Amino acid sequence: MKIVIAGAGNVGIHLAKLLAGENQDIVLIDESEDKLSRLDSSFDLLTIQESPVSISGLKEAGAGNADLFVAVTTDESRNLISAQLAHDLGAKKTVARINNYEYLQPKNKEFFTRIGVDSLIYPELLAAKDIVDGMKLSWIRQWWEFAGGALVMMGIKLRDNAQILNKPLAELGKELPYHIVAILREGVTIIPSGHDTMQAGDLVYFMTMKKHIPHIRRIAGKEELPDVRDVIIMGGSRIAVRTAQLMPDYMNLKIIESDLAKCNALTEKVDDKVMIINGDGRDPSLLMSEGIQHTEAFVALTDNSETNILACLAAKRFGVTKTIAEVENIDYINMAEKLDIGTVINKKKIAASHIYQMMLDADVTNVKCLTFANADVAEFNVKEGAKITRNPVKDISLPRGVTIGGLIRGKEALIVTGNTQIQAGDHVVVFCLEGMIKTIEKYFN
Amino acid sequence: MIHLKIVHRILGVLLLIESGILLLCAFFPIFYGEKDLFGFIMASLITACCGMTLMMIGKSARHKESGMTRRDGYIVVAVSWVLFSIFGSMPYYVSGYIPNFTDAYFETISGFTTTGATIIDDIETMPHGLLFWRSLTQWIGGLGIVFFTVAVLPIFGVGEVQLFAAEAIGPKRGKLHPRISVSGRWIITVYVLITVLCAVCLRLCGMGVFDSVNHALCTAATGGFSTKNASIAYYNSHSIEYVITFFMFLSGINYGLLFFVAFKGKVQRLFEDTEFKWYLGITLIFTFIVAISLYISTPYDAAASIRNGLFHVTAIITTTGFTATDYTQWPPFIWMLLGLGMYFGACGGSTSGGMKSIRIAILFKSMRNEFHRILHPNAILPVRVTGKVIPPAARQSVLTFSVFFFALVFIGWFFYLAIGIDIAEAYGISLSCLSNIGLTIGDHGCNIPWSDMPVIGKWFSTFLMLVGRLEVFSVLLILTPSFWKHR
Repeated sequence: MKIVIAGAGNVGIHLAKLLAGENQDIVLIDESEDKLSRLDSSFDLLTIQESPVSISGLKEAGAGNADLFVAVTTDESRNLISAQLAHDLGAKKTVARINNYEYLQPKNKEFFTRIGVDSLIYPELLAAKDIVDGMKLSWIRQWWEFAGGALVMMGIKLRDNAQILNKPLAELGKELPYHIVAILREGVTIIPSGHDTMQAGDLVYFMTMKKHIPHIRRIAGKEELPDVRDVIIMGGSRIAVRTAQLMPDYMNLKIIESDLAKCNALTEKVDDKVMIINGDGRDPSLLMSEGIQHTEAFVALTDNSETNILACLAAKRFGVTKTIAEVENIDYINMAEKLDIGTVINKKKIAASHIYQMMLDADVTNVKCLTFANADVAEFNVKEGAKITRNPVKDISLPRGVTIGGLIRGKEALIVTGNTQIQAGDHVVVFCLEGMIKTIEKYFN
Repeated sequence: MIHLKIVHRILGVLLLIESGILLLCAFFPIFYGEKDLFGFIMASLITACCGMTLMMIGKSARHKESGMTRRDGYIVVAVSWVLFSIFGSMPYYVSGYIPNFTDAYFETISGFTTTGATIIDDIETMPHGLLFWRSLTQWIGGLGIVFFTVAVLPIFGVGEVQLFAAEAIGPKRGKLHPRISVSGRWIITVYVLITVLCAVCLRLCGMGVFDSVNHALCTAATGGFSTKNASIAYYNSHSIEYVITFFMFLSGINYGLLFFVAFKGKVQRLFEDTEFKWYLGITLIFTFIVAISLYISTPYDAAASIRNGLFHVTAIITTTGFTATDYTQWPPFIWMLLGLGMYFGACGGSTSGGMKSIRIAILFKSMRNEFHRILHPNAILPVRVTGKVIPPAARQSVLTFSVFFFALVFIGWFFYLAIGIDIAEAYGISLSCLSNIGLTIGDHGCNIPWSDMPVIGKWFSTFLMLVGRLEVFSVLLILTPSFWKHR
């Protein structure tokens, strides 16, 4: 599969690395030689130093016979033009990164298809969605919905008060209303089997159905944690604006921003429910006067990853239960986890995994790249006569590091256990270590 | 720099238009065979002569090259209102129906500013021509004399922006059309439509044709001149009261907004608009309190309480000033409440006077923000109107306007006290003139005999009306020395 990526910014580079590991033909176009030279030497891809909006440049990059063209420069208009040009040259599918909410409205979809842009991607909006989801269920670190919400997967940090610690999974009981698909312990991802145990401090990924969420909350010892009503966001970035717009009405939001001009610009973008405060979000006295003690969630979204991590640590000291930090520096993500910052948001990873899913075979409708767990989640429609349908799950020798979390049969959601017999037509959700999707695909086709 | 020649030229053209309108009114004396024909012919001739003279003086103006400045705009607007009123008073004065020039001028400016205070003690004896001219002054003044003439006859081709800015009603808003003369024509279309509909409805409710037209003109202009001594109470008809209430309310809405609702079918715009919501809210809250109080403290039944409450609250808030009964007969609590309502006014960009709901909304939001600021000293607290943040300069100008408005009410109050008017009435007259309502409060009834006021009081009232109608700054600006300095 030939993929052309225009723009070697953060998202572009991350995506290129991700795809290069999948043995795809990747071409990266950017004007800046600096950005490209570092990539060229260390990854298996082709770089072309040309403007993403230059026709000759696009031709040279082979946009004409590309299966997927992805425009992810920081400039929205350039992305749209670049995608349009590529479409006209003959690219099969085009994706453009945008910064404008209006463009994403369903009524405008047809318009963009007409001008040759098949999909739009808005990383800030995706990040904001993750943040709001995280605050709605504050005791959950990470949250995914599958098959329109019939199945959910949640990452929960277990503490000493959890009821399910130190027992082999096989002894927890049969026909459990959940399936533990991964355990992240001290930076190592474990795809658990029956004799693994959960320990305090583990980040455990449960796959379950929505109706069982209260049960999981109880066994994970999270019942006494308060729901989020008051939220403080530090840094008036675009993600902050989107978060404010997506936030449910019962939450009260304050945005702390140190730049006065930015504060004034913010007032134009949010409504009366949001209070904008001019000051430094790391200043304890300011946080105190704005009521940090009564705040349930603190979200740090400045441009500076270090600042975000430190501010979240400070907020934890004030007793804030839910902290979310935007960490754009990928190297810091593991460190942030070790420091026990609640949820970590990484725009690049979110955007890249969103595009990544578009690249996968048509049967796969959703792949998320997990920030913590070095793992991918994929959805497959099981085809007639596929390997996986021949025996119950426990009798199929799936490679190590792969587990099937749940499936949708008809309209019903099921948790997969060892005895489950997968049938053709089932929609299954698979959890696997990073980069394994291509190898497990054959079990389902 | 003030371009005197251009100013003369424009004023001359405006006067010629007025002369033409006066001549049209001569139709009524001919039709009804009344004695005011001479008055109209003479008034028209005098106005035409003066207009010609002004045009001769300004003949050599090369306005295409030099262009009009903001100063020119403000002078033209302020002077044209005064000139229009002086020449507009000619029919009354020359025909002898109002023998005193002060009274004739008072009546005319009360018309043009849509105040509706009248010095005529017995309106019903006036000839049809003068009555129609009286209503027409309100209708022309409703959207602004200069606006009206420029929008109907785009004769200048230059300077419209400056003129409209100087005569604007309410804070500046978005334009309807890139070209100001086109938006002007759209607004006039809405205005004509409201007037015609109102006249038809009144006719259907049993009012005579002549009276229907006159009342429609004065309702759409939120003016309040009636052809009857007892105002709307004369008809003693519930349907007429409801029709007038409805059209008064309609005329109080921003005409740009009405245009979108009427011609583009965008009804949701109305309910997205902060100012309209405040206007509606203020009217409903006042009506509610007044109706409840009436029900408790007067013999009115529920329907009469609501009808009377709604009619008078609307008449006051839209600054029209029609009456269906003498509300000063009600308990003082209620008429003082109406006296408070006199400040508000309807929406900017409508024909109403007063402070306008938009300013009230901004004022209240600013006040609320001050309380927030005490608790959150670092917070950035914007004022939003229809989802848009009001820039600090605009917010400040609203605050300044309000201070000036209150100050003028108090200055007026003391002035009327000084010339021997009693305390409640002096307050009522001062506020009523500044808000262009024409009704007052106090022990002497809501339609006081203005003719009894001392001459100096009448002149001062005309000043307050003009200041109120041109939104304080336009007139006061011309009275500042720095306006006349050549830099």
